[in-house]
Amino acid sequence: MPPPPGPTVFVVDDDAAVRKAVSRLLRSAGIAVAAFASAKEFLAQHDPATPGCLVLDIAMPGFDGLRLQTTLRETGSTLPIIFLTGQGDVSKSVQAMKGGAFDFLTKPVNAKNLLPAIRAAIERDAVARREQAELSEICARLDTLTPREREVLEHVIAGKLNKQIAGDLGITEATVKMHRARVIAKMKVQSVAELARLTERCGIRGTNSLKSAA
Amino acid sequence: MSWITVIWSMNAAACLTLAAFYCAVWCKQRENWVHLLFSCSAVAAAAISAFELGMLSAQTVERYQALVRWIHLPTWVLTVSFVVFVRLYLRAGRRWLAWSIYGLRTLVLILNFISPVSVNFRTITDIHHFSWGGEIVSVPVGLPNPWGLISSFSLLLLLIFSVDATITVWRRGDRRRALLVGGSMIFGAILAWHVPLVIWGVIEVPFFLGFTYTAIVAAMGYELSNDMARAAQLAHDLELSDQRLNLAADSGDLGLWEWDLSKDEIWVTPRRRAQLGFPVSGKITFEDLISRWHADDRDKVRQALRDAIENGKDYDAEFRRVLADGSVRWVAARGRVYADKHGRPIRLLGVSMDITSLKQAELEAARQRHDLAHLARVTSLGELSSSLAHELTHPLTAILSNAQAAQRFLARDAADLDEVREILNDIVTEDQRAGEVIHRLRLLLKKGEPQKHCDDVDLNEVLRDVLKLMRNDLIIQNVTVDTDLAQNLPSVTADRVQLQQVLLNLVLNACEAMADCDSSERQLLIASKSENGAVEVSVTDRGGGIREKKLEQVFERFFTTKKEGMGLGLSICRTIINAHRGEIWATNNVHCGATFHFRLPIVRSDALSGASSKVLDGSALTVLDASAPRVAAPSALLRSAANGSEAEELRVSASSALPKNGQ
Repeated sequence: MPPPPGPTVFVVDDDAAVRKAVSRLLRSAGIAVAAFASAKEFLAQHDPATPGCLVLDIAMPGFDGLRLQTTLRETGSTLPIIFLTGQGDVSKSVQAMKGGAFDFLTKPVNAKNLLPAIRAAIERDAVARREQAELSEICARLDTLTPREREVLEHVIAGKLNKQIAGDLGITEATVKMHRARVIAKMKVQSVAELARLTERCGIRGTNSLKSAA
Repeated sequence: MSWITVIWSMNAAACLTLAAFYCAVWCKQRENWVHLLFSCSAVAAAAISAFELGMLSAQTVERYQALVRWIHLPTWVLTVSFVVFVRLYLRAGRRWLAWSIYGLRTLVLILNFISPVSVNFRTITDIHHFSWGGEIVSVPVGLPNPWGLISSFSLLLLLIFSVDATITVWRRGDRRRALLVGGSMIFGAILAWHVPLVIWGVIEVPFFLGFTYTAIVAAMGYELSNDMARAAQLAHDLELSDQRLNLAADSGDLGLWEWDLSKDEIWVTPRRRAQLGFPVSGKITFEDLISRWHADDRDKVRQALRDAIENGKDYDAEFRRVLADGSVRWVAARGRVYADKHGRPIRLLGVSMDITSLKQAELEAARQRHDLAHLARVTSLGELSSSLAHELTHPLTAILSNAQAAQRFLARDAADLDEVREILNDIVTEDQRAGEVIHRLRLLLKKGEPQKHCDDVDLNEVLRDVLKLMRNDLIIQNVTVDTDLAQNLPSVTADRVQLQQVLLNLVLNACEAMADCDSSERQLLIASKSENGAVEVSVTDRGGGIREKKLEQVFERFFTTKKEGMGLGLSICRTIINAHRGEIWATNNVHCGATFHFRLPIVRSDALSGASSKVLDGSALTVLDASAPRVAAPSALLRSAANGSEAEELRVSASSALPKNGQ
């Protein structure tokens, strides 16, 4: 398996000169750049696994920046988008903001503003990807649980005592204890509190009421 | 001295005086042959009188014989000149009679000189002296010559000729002349019969043929003097008429002129002459006159005159006159060439008028039109302002980023100078690009002189310029532009900026027409083609179209369907296109939307140097210009015919994602 690619900044602008200049500026700051002349070209070549951010011209002929933002969101991408806008694009800027843009910079854009924005965006992407990775890991651990262990887990994180759980599930307290130990081990946690925090991130909530036929 | 000597001498003297007078008149008016003829008659009459006087006082037979012989010479002259006079002056008398008289008289003259004595006498034996009116006079006694009958016969013919001519003149209604000249000739021809009677010895009187003829000469002289009196009257009338004409010309501020081509002498009405700064009299040549015109207009005037003289066309020109104080007046001149009977031009007759105020009004109108067009241009640029800001934003962004990248590269320990060099090159390029945007903008905003901007314009180029200018606006409005431009489109002579304005207006209009359409429907087709000596451009939208009865109205000033429109855009388009001798019109498409077309003539560039300036200074309205030939350049026509309109696809935006519906 190849090493995961480093963060790359994707520059999408239909103006060749701007594209070239911005790419050059980013390279001068030691940032890896991939430039595209149109949204379509970007979509065709983009690997969602590559971390980084997108520097996107808001007004492009045909397939414009806003549409690319929408398309990316629909495909579940979390790539942060920094929009480059002209002075006259207020309404488009508002739309982009509503669509969850990371930042707006007006052309002509100053390196003083662009580079920090890009670094921040890359950082946020990295954090997001890390979190995503953690989440995947937790979910993977959850998947190793047997259905009974999962049931026990849900009761445990609801803060129930072993006795209550045994009662609810119709099993002995000793069996509950055994399942509980296995869950703690499989989920690689130290405490019930930690277990609750992890499972909450995966959207699993404790069961308070009796489940008759799960 | 005897009274006979006095009377006959006076008669001769009177005749000679008349002869001398009319000879002088003839010298001044060579074309008037009647005067010379009359002089000859009068000299002949004087000679006859002198011969008669000699005969009356002749003492020897030899002397008498000589006189009788030689008197036939003046008689011949007199008779012939009488007949010619009647034919020429009275335009009467039968030709065959006239020729018979010439022939007979000449025959008589010949016979006279081949006869031993004369045609009248075979021999003169003696001279008979008798007392007549208290004086002793001589008459010949001898044997009459039978050939003398021919002389008598010619006299008879002369009488018949005179009577016939008199009747003709009388019938013509010229009774006074018939009575006077015809009457005196009949009278003379009758009285002349005393000569044969004396010769045949029927009556005994001295010869007085001189008086008879003098009467005729006097009548002729009187008649001619009448002509002179009439000429004087005519001259007076002419002067009056001249005054009236001058008054009319002056009050209409018209100058009448005439150019005698052979003498190169120009006559102009006195007031114009004074205005032009010429002295009251003295010759004016063409070069004198043209030196009064504005230096820039002289060649034009010369060309128009050459055209008129060489091709027989009416002369028609407008030019400026420089007054002594340096001020300039506009003059329109019209004229016509007159040729002699061989078809050679001899005279140019014409009229000129001051059209300064008209010209000023025209220029003022042109200026106003120009101002309005400029205002509209600025307004439409206002609509494009965001678009234009974008146009500048791109190069500025590139420049800034490049410059900052370079700063960073240079800040490194090992600066990559190659990279920096490349960056600087890019910065220069982008700066130039920004400069071009500003230049385009400035051109559109510039007001400039209305006349000075005509040159050969490639409409395709103008179209591309306009689309570049509107690029961002089109993107923002989601309008896709397809172009179908004919390759090798012939140039038109036009004001580039004004054509840009027309196209800008048409494209803006089309975009507005499609504002309510679904964005995938917002398609604009711009096409150019050349046909029939003209270049046609059409802008097709897919909007709502125009109601059929408004198709013409949309070009009217202040007609608008927009909430914020002034209703000037299309009216200015029409003004501009009309000023370029083109036409602009709108049609509805079969499916949806409307198409605006305009057509401009392809014009030979050299023929336009003068005419083109008129396109915009407003003088295209003058009659003068309407006649100017506007010939399409054959080469340009050939080119366009050869290439047809090969479609050229120029995509302004990436439109392939949008559905393309055929129209």
